Amino acid sequence: MSEIALNRILQPGGITPVYQPVFRAAAGEAIQMHGLECLSRGPKGTNFESANVLFEYVRLKREESLVDRACIAAAFRGASSLPSSLRLAVNVHASTLGRDHGFIGFLQTTAAATGIGLERITIEIVEHAPPWDGMSFLSALEALRELGAEIALDDVGLGLSNFKMLLDVQPDYLKLDRYFVETCAEDSRRRAVISALQRLASDFEAEVVAEGVTNAAEASVLQQLGVTLMQGFYFSEPLPLEQAQEWCAGFQLAGPKASGLRP
Amino acid sequence: MLSEAARTPGSRQEKILIVDDEELIVVAMRKYFEGLGYFVDAAHELEEAQALLAHRNYDLVIADLRLTGIGGVEGLQIVSDIHQRAANTRVILLSAYGTPEIERESYNRGADAFLHKPKAMMEIASVAMNLLEQR
Repeated sequence: MSEIALNRILQPGGITPVYQPVFRAAAGEAIQMHGLECLSRGPKGTNFESANVLFEYVRLKREESLVDRACIAAAFRGASSLPSSLRLAVNVHASTLGRDHGFIGFLQTTAAATGIGLERITIEIVEHAPPWDGMSFLSALEALRELGAEIALDDVGLGLSNFKMLLDVQPDYLKLDRYFVETCAEDSRRRAVISALQRLASDFEAEVVAEGVTNAAEASVLQQLGVTLMQGFYFSEPLPLEQAQEWCAGFQLAGPKASGLRP
Repeated sequence: MLSEAARTPGSRQEKILIVDDEELIVVAMRKYFEGLGYFVDAAHELEEAQALLAHRNYDLVIADLRLTGIGGVEGLQIVSDIHQRAANTRVILLSAYGTPEIERESYNRGADAFLHKPKAMMEIASVAMNLLEQR
């Protein structure tokens, strides 16, 4: 891949969406499917198939906005064939909201073209970027809320997803990074952090979504700590569109067991 | 000269990152080092290399200095970038236009070898394997 890597990422088919189910798994209750997080993979056969490498590259190029748009367009096109009852979460850089003044219009146009209501959408704010226009960022958040979208703050507790961001964003969801989830069954300090974030979320009238749940012990600990929204390989890996369609159909028709979900 | 063991394909576990924007060079180097049994990644842009370095560990980086996109010693920032990520990663810089000043500064900043292009693949590989064996 040459200098034009960015062009190849942005060309039609350059971004492949995958969908990871998010579940509501409250203790003593049947597991419910809450929605799908739309994730992105770069061109096949390149280093950018890895999402980490893809977005690190995009941020170094300072082209977050262009790529965020491409990811959303690809995700919405695929999601138009998924059950309309499910929420869809898409990742957007804070810098895109702060700098790309046409982003909200783009989102509306893309949603309308693919038949996806914005009230189904959760915008997951990721931030690794240099300073952006704070006022524009807050205005974009307000516009998103007026359109019915919900807001999640990604990677809470890591990097720039800090208390200031919590106060500025006032998210509906706090995404708990896998760093805090892994080994939480054995590590009392990790449980203390999760518990504190759960209380914080509650005070913000928000919900915690635990990412990277890989086993029953972690899921059980999260339930005990009051966290009910979960995603991770224990439940399902990110799925290509066709598998996501089958998965959702199976879950809706026959419940968790038919979809391979652990009880 | 390479030892017989060093020439044995598939006998290596180390990871090498090749950074060069000339596709023919990347293909040739990848094929050569993979033939020696190394795991090889390649980046065609500085930012692609930096993104890989941020998420993967390499034992050796072989980078064309021209790819840094900056003339002069400022372009040597890549060496600092590499060592900030992994102090133990060996670095070979290749340059077709390297001045004595740039070469000197490369070593000052922690490059392990500075090779003037063009260089035979065998020669690059010999330096690479010696550096890897010293780790």
